[in-house]
Amino acid sequence: MLARALELAGISTTSISLVREHTEKVKPPRALYVPFPFGHALGRPDDPELQHRVLRAALDLLLEPAGPVLHDFPEDAEPGAQPPAPPQASGITPAEQVPDDAAMETTQMRRYHERWLEKSGGRTLLGLTGIPATRFRGVVRFLEGFADGQDVDMAERPPEVPLPNFVRYCADDLKALYFEGHLAMKPAAGGEEIARWFWSETAAGRLLRRVRDRLDTSDDPRWKAAAFGIAR
Amino acid sequence: MPRLDRLPQISRNNLLTFPAQVNDTAPFVRPGKPLVASRLAIVTTAGLHVRGDRPFSPGDQTYRVIPSDTPTTDIVQSHTSIGFDRVAIMRDINISFPIDRLRELVARGELGGLAPYCCSFMGAQRDAARIESETGPEVGRRLAAEGVDVALITPT
Repeated sequence: MLARALELAGISTTSISLVREHTEKVKPPRALYVPFPFGHALGRPDDPELQHRVLRAALDLLLEPAGPVLHDFPEDAEPGAQPPAPPQASGITPAEQVPDDAAMETTQMRRYHERWLEKSGGRTLLGLTGIPATRFRGVVRFLEGFADGQDVDMAERPPEVPLPNFVRYCADDLKALYFEGHLAMKPAAGGEEIARWFWSETAAGRLLRRVRDRLDTSDDPRWKAAAFGIAR
Repeated sequence: MPRLDRLPQISRNNLLTFPAQVNDTAPFVRPGKPLVASRLAIVTTAGLHVRGDRPFSPGDQTYRVIPSDTPTTDIVQSHTSIGFDRVAIMRDINISFPIDRLRELVARGELGGLAPYCCSFMGAQRDAARIESETGPEVGRRLAAEGVDVALITPT
């Protein structure tokens, strides 16, 4: 649909598609269906050769004389590759021993995250709240108060951002801190392994389940949407 | 993959009930020049933006501009759906926003050049009427005015 709007402005488009069933309906002018999991449109992270092959196949569609055209990327994901979608919190049983103190755990995790930043050259997905990792104990205290049903807020929440959206940004930043910190601890870990660790073994995972529960008790669709976005 | 029959039930249902637009034909602009002489912009639905720019909210139909020379360390993602694995983009932004790969194509002389900026929308839109009528055409006009010949559209 976006492709259609751009073509109407005179721009040739080529799209990468992850859901063939949808692309067959929408019929963008040129689309390359790739057999990769969500989050993996170009194939595999840190695999420039595969990414170039995907890119080349998408750009080659520009040579087609007429459309709409939908081609399949010929290479399948390799056996043992990531599952098509990460496991959800509801399918992961919390461990019997989970640390009590999420704020202290977050402080520990920050050390691993600093290692991640050194390794990644500063690349991080953390940054939706604008609150630096050094002040995440405050974010954790806010989320704890929120989960307990208190009427809490943070001075860092911009007035135009509704509270449930800000709660979700806090949850997303917390997840980024932990997931990237875990990547520094175990560089070879995949998304499924990290999700299982986060939701079963960390105090932060347990806290976010409680945050989700409070959001989900509301009748306000924005609160429900934030709950669905944090854990399901 | 994600072939629907291999997805968890909740994700499959989410996709099967997704209100995808149905079309029979598509507008189709044949490129006026070869790729080696073309100017390309990425237009992504991965919900990416420059760090410090306004994050997207779910269902947000506005867009963000990402200058093509933005260091990849300054790009973040507020499309944080738990329906996909974000570890891939934590490791490598090129998995959804192949800016380094395109720079390599330009350096090798296979692509004419990059547009001064790329554009980013939020993904997983169930109602995209405003993108269709307003923000999508606006991005088209802006990129056309920048001399962009080709847009590469990428999801997450």
